[in-house]
Amino acid sequence: MDDHKPIDTPDGPALETPGAGARRFEAPPSDLPITEAEAARLAGLAHNEHLKIASGYLRGGLADGLLKHATGAISEDDGQLVKFHGMYMQDDRDIRAERTKKKLEKAFSFMIRLRIAGGVVTPKQWLALDQIATTYANGTLRATTRQTFQYHGVIKSNLKRTMAAIDAVLLDTIAACGDVNRNVMAATNPAQAGAHKVAYQLAKDISDSLLPKTNAWREIWLDGERVVGGEEEFEPVYGKTYLPRKFKTVVAVPPSNEVDIFAHDLGFIAILDKKNKVTGWNVTVGGGMGMTHGESDTFPRTADVMGFCAPQDALKVAEAVMTVQRDWGNRKNRKNARLKYTIERFGLDAFRAEVENRIGKKLGSPKPFVFDGNGDRYGWVEGDDGRHHLTLYVPSGRIKDVEGGPQFLTGLRRIAEIHEGDFRLTGNQNVIIANVPAGKRAEIEALVDQYAMTKGAGALRRNSMACVALPTCGLALAESERYLPDLLTELEESLASHGLQDEEITIRSTGCPNGCARPFIAEIGLVGRGPERYHLYLGAAFDGSRLSKLYREDVTAAEIRGVLDPLFAAYAKDRQLGEHFGDFVIRAGFVSKTTNGPDFHERTGPLKAA
Amino acid sequence: MAPKMSKTALLPRTAPFGDQERAHLDAALGTATPIQRAWLTGFLAGLDAAAGQPAAATAAAPAAPPKAAEPLTILFASESGNSEKLASDVSKLARKQGFKPKVVDFAELDLATLPKVGKLVAIAATWGEGEPPARAVRAYGELMGDGAPRLDGVEFGVLALGDTSYAEFCAIGKALDARFEALGAKRAYDRADLDLDFEKPAADWIKGALKALAPAEAPAGNVVAVDFRAAGGEDEEAELSREPVVVEVIDHVNLNSSRSDKETIHLALEFEDGAPAYEPGDSLEIFPENDPQLVEEILKATGLSGDEALRKALLAERDITTLSPTTVERFAKATGHADAQAFVDSGEVKAWIEGRHLIDLLERFPATLTADHLTTVTRPLPPRAYSIASSRKEVGDEVHLTIAAVRYETHGRARSGVASVHVADRIKNGAKLRVRVKPNKHFRLPSDPATDIIMVGPGTGVAPFRAFVQERRATEAPGRSWLFFGDRHFTHDFLYQLEWQDALEDGSLTQIDVAFSRDQPEKIYVQDRIDAHAAEVVAWLDGGAHFYVCGDAKNMAKDVHAAVVRAFQTVKGLSASDAEAHVASLERAKRYQQDVY
Repeated sequence: MDDHKPIDTPDGPALETPGAGARRFEAPPSDLPITEAEAARLAGLAHNEHLKIASGYLRGGLADGLLKHATGAISEDDGQLVKFHGMYMQDDRDIRAERTKKKLEKAFSFMIRLRIAGGVVTPKQWLALDQIATTYANGTLRATTRQTFQYHGVIKSNLKRTMAAIDAVLLDTIAACGDVNRNVMAATNPAQAGAHKVAYQLAKDISDSLLPKTNAWREIWLDGERVVGGEEEFEPVYGKTYLPRKFKTVVAVPPSNEVDIFAHDLGFIAILDKKNKVTGWNVTVGGGMGMTHGESDTFPRTADVMGFCAPQDALKVAEAVMTVQRDWGNRKNRKNARLKYTIERFGLDAFRAEVENRIGKKLGSPKPFVFDGNGDRYGWVEGDDGRHHLTLYVPSGRIKDVEGGPQFLTGLRRIAEIHEGDFRLTGNQNVIIANVPAGKRAEIEALVDQYAMTKGAGALRRNSMACVALPTCGLALAESERYLPDLLTELEESLASHGLQDEEITIRSTGCPNGCARPFIAEIGLVGRGPERYHLYLGAAFDGSRLSKLYREDVTAAEIRGVLDPLFAAYAKDRQLGEHFGDFVIRAGFVSKTTNGPDFHERTGPLKAA
Repeated sequence: MAPKMSKTALLPRTAPFGDQERAHLDAALGTATPIQRAWLTGFLAGLDAAAGQPAAATAAAPAAPPKAAEPLTILFASESGNSEKLASDVSKLARKQGFKPKVVDFAELDLATLPKVGKLVAIAATWGEGEPPARAVRAYGELMGDGAPRLDGVEFGVLALGDTSYAEFCAIGKALDARFEALGAKRAYDRADLDLDFEKPAADWIKGALKALAPAEAPAGNVVAVDFRAAGGEDEEAELSREPVVVEVIDHVNLNSSRSDKETIHLALEFEDGAPAYEPGDSLEIFPENDPQLVEEILKATGLSGDEALRKALLAERDITTLSPTTVERFAKATGHADAQAFVDSGEVKAWIEGRHLIDLLERFPATLTADHLTTVTRPLPPRAYSIASSRKEVGDEVHLTIAAVRYETHGRARSGVASVHVADRIKNGAKLRVRVKPNKHFRLPSDPATDIIMVGPGTGVAPFRAFVQERRATEAPGRSWLFFGDRHFTHDFLYQLEWQDALEDGSLTQIDVAFSRDQPEKIYVQDRIDAHAAEVVAWLDGGAHFYVCGDAKNMAKDVHAAVVRAFQTVKGLSASDAEAHVASLERAKRYQQDVY
């Protein structure tokens, strides 16, 4: 456990961010919340703020844009708004170069992300999602790092059909992206059935209560009736401008930090009694991954544990944290708008005080908790309720059929056809076949084998994550999902040569510094810089509680193994009992330790030759 | 030098001409047919009158009162324009021979007039799988129907055009020939069924037919009335040269994405000495070369690999793919191959050649052939016409084409379209092609630029509409334009997508609706989009819009036609037959035009 966390302070949890006494914070804004007029008056607002105000509660020109048949695109402004509806406009970058010559526009399509609180999907929903993937998307379902599915490659003319099919199984994509409370994650830990239920329920309640109330989604995608002349629509929580930036909420049940609680804006850590009953929640705020290359005032940040709340207050706390961020967050500069910057700007104490003000009571001191890692438990687990749960290892969360390899798409479809429990998506892009009665276990096991689905992988591989990146993601600077498997093979060889093949080491790669696969809290982090070029980050905590540090800039894909191999050699030789790789590289003096966000960009680079 | 004095001098020495003039006149008149002489008499008698001068008092009175020239109706059913061109040839020659010809397009035929025509030449193309050309469908149907009038007293000859590579070779010509006879008309000249190399045999047939249709004995001294106003009346557009021109390929792009199953080549050709005066709607004929690999296979199969001259001929001059019953018969006869002859006699040829080419025949009946055998068995390699996809007003001395590469497999062998794959595979930037313009005056923008147009052109059918839109942009035509386009996949097969976007932006295209058949579970085609916009389509047409269809004749053009009929039914509450009649009237008014293949 990293020492900056309050839990480790000798006198119990600290209530301040480290070094707060030495820093001067700005005074929080006084009149709250901001009004529309105020927003308009502030000339310095980011463009997206004006868009939101003018959008008529997220409608914008979307309905008209769908009728422009000559283009597969929507307007740039609508491209911002459509995120609130769970979509990103993308284009196939693999074929971008040939398009203009062929008198074709970019190969536009849409990524559609679902909102599945806690990642729980019924077999019936699974079958429908599978059907949509093969009918309208690129034939794959992509389990994300935030416990949901996304589709890739849905063209504009199929958007409404896809949405209708999603709606038909009582799912939606509202607020899956955009400046809103996104999909709420919850611990899946199937062994703790009781705690999981409570965690899931909180995630679901937060998801429901912080959902935008606009009818725009139904109206645009499902041809719902437009509210005309009647009562004006109202967003009681968000207002017309929604949030300054994305807002991510998770619910964790120790000892597993599978949801990566420190990487999110808002988190709830279940505090369990001896019978594994949830007695209340530690509340975490201000985590986040995204940054911009070359801009040191942008940085990833691990969340602070702000306090403790009783179970019945959790929902109110969630809403209060979100609304304080709504009102205090920076709306002039989107690169400085996440809650993590708000906390850095105004201080955790002021932030906590305002949250307490809004909920009408004080938060308690954080309770002790222990995380032992942020990975998944693969294979079969029997829960305390006698149900069985199978966690499958899905490489990069890509549910597809590989010729001569795993047939996850068909295999999971076959399982969904006979499964009586449910499916859980994990924050590590994996799938749990959950709540299997003992009598059904053999049948499911047989299908898993028949379709060569993997119940695990080598130690490095099963602790790996990659974002989607190329060819669909517009932000990607380098490959990620398509490259990581090959790199893992190289590194597995290297590790094996040092006898480290069974060491659990987290490794994550992303195509850009926005951090979808949370690379800055992996022991080995690769962040795309350009084609086949990555920044290499080392020294994060295995349980996801400490950020890493930039170790080598612009390493080429071909160089990565050579850079890491001597470090693996040293680790094999000099590590202490139970010492994780991320901790070792700091103790052994290869790389500086990152305390938290503000010093992320300090003291970078190798401290000594490896 | 004066021509030799005719042995049988017609003009007496007393004639008011010099010796030389007399010799010329004798030379011309000596070989003239009676009908030509009669015509000349009428001509000379009418000449001064037509010039507004009183006939010279001293002129001798005509030997007999003028008799009306023999009327001749030349009926044509044309798809690609060949029949129409031949009809025009018949007309010219007939006029010379003293007929009073009248060219009638099947599309405009009023069946009630047919019994009164007297002499009739019908030239009919057969299209697709034995179907009449699209514009002729209505009148052809009426003629074949129970309501067709008797044609007693009509004398006729039928010239049938077709393509032996299709099963129902010259079916429409054959059917007309039989139908005229069944309706009581008298066959004055036997039908000829011509393949793609029709030009020479057609000219022969025309001569023969006109001779047969001419009045048996034009009485000497007869005078044919000559209508001076008719001269040159039927050729409104200047004739373009039929001589092929060599052009340079300056752009060659596959418009489909690299992810597409299709391959559609955008070809820009440059005319060094200025592009011929083509109009939007015209086609360009390409003189292709055969696949060199296929040439080698044929040379190998026939044991003629050493013959360089033959190799060249097979490459550029002979049609070495088409396999028709005629091909098989000629092969059997030329080679004396007993098995082949037995095969011909078996009656199984027609079924066997389906989906097969010449090479399959040569491999089935191995024989050592001579170069002459191959020439006998094959026909000349015909040019292939493609709708022009550009307007000279926008591209200057270029012609643009949109050519879909035809590739498929039958009987375990990869096959390819001769011209399209020649262009797709063996033509690159800088390459030369032999081409000539093939006018299509039945596919023309409205003469009034303010008239709205609706264009339906899925796949390469969009080519002429690119020309239309370019033309209307260049001329700043105020009329609205609406394009229906379709193909398989939006992302990979949207031909000229960026150009349509620009056209929408600059207003030369008012509206576009698209139908991509394979982007969703159910197939969506252009006719479905027409259905969905029935009210608007009818409103445009009621407002005078012209409707154009280009592309597949077999299904699309019929489905679109049906959709337009349906639109009138649903929007205006018309009965099916009234809606049909309404669309037929649009066709007759040349407001529903098709260029289908």
